Amino acid sequence: MATESPRESTAWMLALDDRLRAAVGERELIHLIEAPTLLEVPLSPYYCRQAILWNNLLLPAMDLAAWLHKQPKANNNWKLAGIVAYQPAPNVALGYGALLLAAIPKRTQVTDTLACSLPECPNGWRELAISCFRQAEEAIPILDLPHLFTGGLLTR
Amino acid sequence: MSQPVRNTLAELREIRALAKLTLGGYPWLLPQTEIRSLESPLDIDREVQAPQGIGAIALGGEWWPVYCLSGELQLLPQLPDSRRICALLDNGADRFGLICDQVETLAETPRLLALPACMGSPDSPIQALAPLDEGLGCVTNTEHLAALLASLAEGASGH
Repeated sequence: MATESPRESTAWMLALDDRLRAAVGERELIHLIEAPTLLEVPLSPYYCRQAILWNNLLLPAMDLAAWLHKQPKANNNWKLAGIVAYQPAPNVALGYGALLLAAIPKRTQVTDTLACSLPECPNGWRELAISCFRQAEEAIPILDLPHLFTGGLLTR
Repeated sequence: MSQPVRNTLAELREIRALAKLTLGGYPWLLPQTEIRSLESPLDIDREVQAPQGIGAIALGGEWWPVYCLSGELQLLPQLPDSRRICALLDNGADRFGLICDQVETLAETPRLLALPACMGSPDSPIQALAPLDEGLGCVTNTEHLAALLASLAEGASGH
C-alpha cells in the first residue's frame, strides 16, 4: 500500500529583528517596501507607533520584536516593511497591515510533519502565533495576522 | 461622565473646516467652529486654578480653565517654551483653553482615514487620521478632549 506523502505548502520566513524569526503563508505577504516612510501616530501602542501610506490605504506598521521584548526599538530606522493581507472574518473584505522587518524574507517549504511547540523564550509567542514548525533546529512560529491587526494585542 | 459620541468617517468628512492645533510638534485637527477665540498665554491668570489646569482666562464674563497637554495628550504641569498661543474651545457643552505651539486653519480639508484597529482602543480621542505635509494629523474634537481631561483629572486625584 502506497503511503501518502505529507502535504507541502510554502511560507515566507520573516526576520523580526537580528534574532527572532516568524513565518506567514505564501499568499499573506504581498509586497515589500524598502526604506518605508513611517508616520508617527500619537497614543498608539509602543509596538505599533507608526503607519505607512500604501496604495491610498493607511496601514499600521507593527514591530513584533518590540512586543516580544516588551520595549520599543532603540532606533527607528527600519529598512524594510512587509505588507501583509489577511481575512479578518469569513466573507469579509481583506485587511492589510505592515510588519517591520530586519531582512529580506525567505521562502521555505513546510509540511505537517514539521509541526512543533512554540518557543518558550521570549514568552509571548502564544499570543502572536497560531502554530509553529521546525526548520534547521529552529522553531518558527506562524503569525496569526487577523488577531494581530484587528486589535488582539490591545487587551494585554 | 458619559462616553463621547464617536463619529463615523462619513460624518467627519462633512466638517467644512478643520483647525490644526500643534501640541509638542504633533498636529491635532479640530472642527474650526469649536474654536471660540485665540488668546495670548500672557492673559492666563495662574492664580485661578482648575483641577490639573495651569490657570484660567477670562472671556465674556467667565473663567475658562486652561490646560497644557503634550503631543501625546498627557497633562503637563509646566508650560514649555514652544507654547505661544491659547485656543479657547467651545462646543456648547464643554469650554476650556488649550495652550498650543501653533494654531492654523487648514486651507483644504485633508483626506480622512480610519485609525487602524490595532493602533487604538474604541475610546481613543483620535477619530480619524489625516495625511499632512508634516506627517499624520489626528482628528478629534472638544467633546473627546473634555472627556480625556476629565479622566486625566480623575486619575490624578486617585479615583
